[in-house]
Amino acid sequence: MGKAVLTVDNITARYGPVEVLHGITLQVNEGEIVSLLGANGAGKTTLLNCICGLHGDKEGKIWFRDADITRVPAELVVPRGMAHVPERRQIFSTLTVEDNLWLGASHRMPKTSKKEIAKEMETVYERFPILAERKWQLGGTLSGGQQQMLAIGRALLSRPQLLLLDEPSLGLAPLIAKEILTIVQEIRSEWGTTVLLVEQNARAALAISDRAYVLSTGTVMLEGKADEISNDPRVQSAYLGSSHEAV
Amino acid sequence: MKQIIDKWGKSIGIYLFLMILFPFVMPDEYYRSVGIIIGLQAIVTIGLCLVMGLAGQISLGQASFWGIGAYTSAVLTTKYGLPPFVGLIAAAVVPGLFAFILGRAIAGLQGYYLAMATLAFGYIVQIGITEWESVTGGANGMISIPQMTFFGGSELSMYFLIWGVVTCVLLFSLNLLNSRVGRAFRAIHKSEIAATSMGIDVRKFKLNAFVVSGMFAGISGGLYAHYMGILDPQPFGLHESIKFLTMVVIGGMTSIWGALIGTILIGFISEGLILLGEVVPGLQGDVDTIVFGAILVLIIMFMPEGLVPRIRAAFEKGQAKKAKAMADDAQRKQQVERKAAT
Repeated sequence: MGKAVLTVDNITARYGPVEVLHGITLQVNEGEIVSLLGANGAGKTTLLNCICGLHGDKEGKIWFRDADITRVPAELVVPRGMAHVPERRQIFSTLTVEDNLWLGASHRMPKTSKKEIAKEMETVYERFPILAERKWQLGGTLSGGQQQMLAIGRALLSRPQLLLLDEPSLGLAPLIAKEILTIVQEIRSEWGTTVLLVEQNARAALAISDRAYVLSTGTVMLEGKADEISNDPRVQSAYLGSSHEAV
Repeated sequence: MKQIIDKWGKSIGIYLFLMILFPFVMPDEYYRSVGIIIGLQAIVTIGLCLVMGLAGQISLGQASFWGIGAYTSAVLTTKYGLPPFVGLIAAAVVPGLFAFILGRAIAGLQGYYLAMATLAFGYIVQIGITEWESVTGGANGMISIPQMTFFGGSELSMYFLIWGVVTCVLLFSLNLLNSRVGRAFRAIHKSEIAATSMGIDVRKFKLNAFVVSGMFAGISGGLYAHYMGILDPQPFGLHESIKFLTMVVIGGMTSIWGALIGTILIGFISEGLILLGEVVPGLQGDVDTIVFGAILVLIIMFMPEGLVPRIRAAFEKGQAKKAKAMADDAQRKQQVERKAAT
């Protein structure tokens, strides 16, 4: 595997007096899809918010490529090449699909010309034809799966080297969730984007990942290659559940 | 610029036509002066609309920027003999500076807290103007502020000067709305966290909107000072700030056109009330405040998005209906033809 794109070194995070992450260390290498698994409240989203700069109350170090970004505010992390697709997608429901996509590229303008971005937008539309069809519709009128595609497309327009995806399958029908995860895999091969994927749907996430970390109440309980993790008896009993689980 | 003409060409055409026509339809000097005042207010409300509708902030102190602009230009021209043109530039810069400092200080505030802070600022400015007698003339005010000599300085030329500024401000704001900056503002209005995730510096954008609105108000204030020729602190208080707010809300916060139309509407209602007051003896004094309050309540209850967005939605619905009816007709025709063929 390539060199480290993201290194999280012994991160501790708190909400007021409550410590929710107790020294997390992880690494994402170039070209990998790494999943971050764990039950509700394990600290997955908090960790992601720490990485992208939205959560400030933390100790430890976060390295993105060769730079220390621990104290870099969120809006300045994005131009460095890290895009965050937040939980519940957070698309701008009162703006059109097209405007939502433009916003993804906002930090690159006016340096990059409009024409160039419009060209890239075409490739996004080619990847997600449904978005091209609904260009002028308001973001809020899209279905859950389409909104997720929009959120991913929007993130791609910021030209990320690393894509942070927070529960992309949340609230989606199992088939759509599977489609979204397939898309994530395709994006890695088409764009060469490295992905850190947070998921509750462990089985589906592991199917597309190279490696995985399992969080439990704020610590890394387990880490390793995706197939090793899926075969680990502890994970099978705790997260993959009995065989009748969907997807 | 090309984009706004594509998008709003028709509206801009209608606006220019009515704006130019107005003083000739109303040859009465009094109504021209009413037109001038409405124009001055429109400059302020368009700026306020950028702060409220775009950045999603609230300002209860807009009249104070107006006042700072008016007094800056008045003092510089009357006491130091500078030409009104220089005074006007200062009238834009100084309130902009105040807005920058205030905006920096209250950058972290939102909602009620922001409203309270701007309210307090408004009071401080009005009290400051009243008490700084050596410069501002205190409660007695200032007199013999030099007039603008713009094409002879008649009421008509003043009307066109001010509406020329309104047009510039309007085009600038429409252009802003339609650009990358406007898109960022709408994103901030929807969700600040999501906007931050897009790499948008939310604080900077909000501060810029605040400063621009302060500068617009300042320019308007400067023009007001030179138009009136006299100044006193009374019109630069909370009452006027609320009036500006009402104009923006009635027209529709999210639309620049809304701010303009809201301002014109309130201006006409004021004049209508004055005319009515001459006929109905009970309708004198501060009736307009009551009427505006009632309008504000009704708008917020029944039309919270404001007049212009509501009318636009109704219009688009009508268009869609028409298109659908036409499509249905065509389909029926086809069916009939098919039947005839068989």
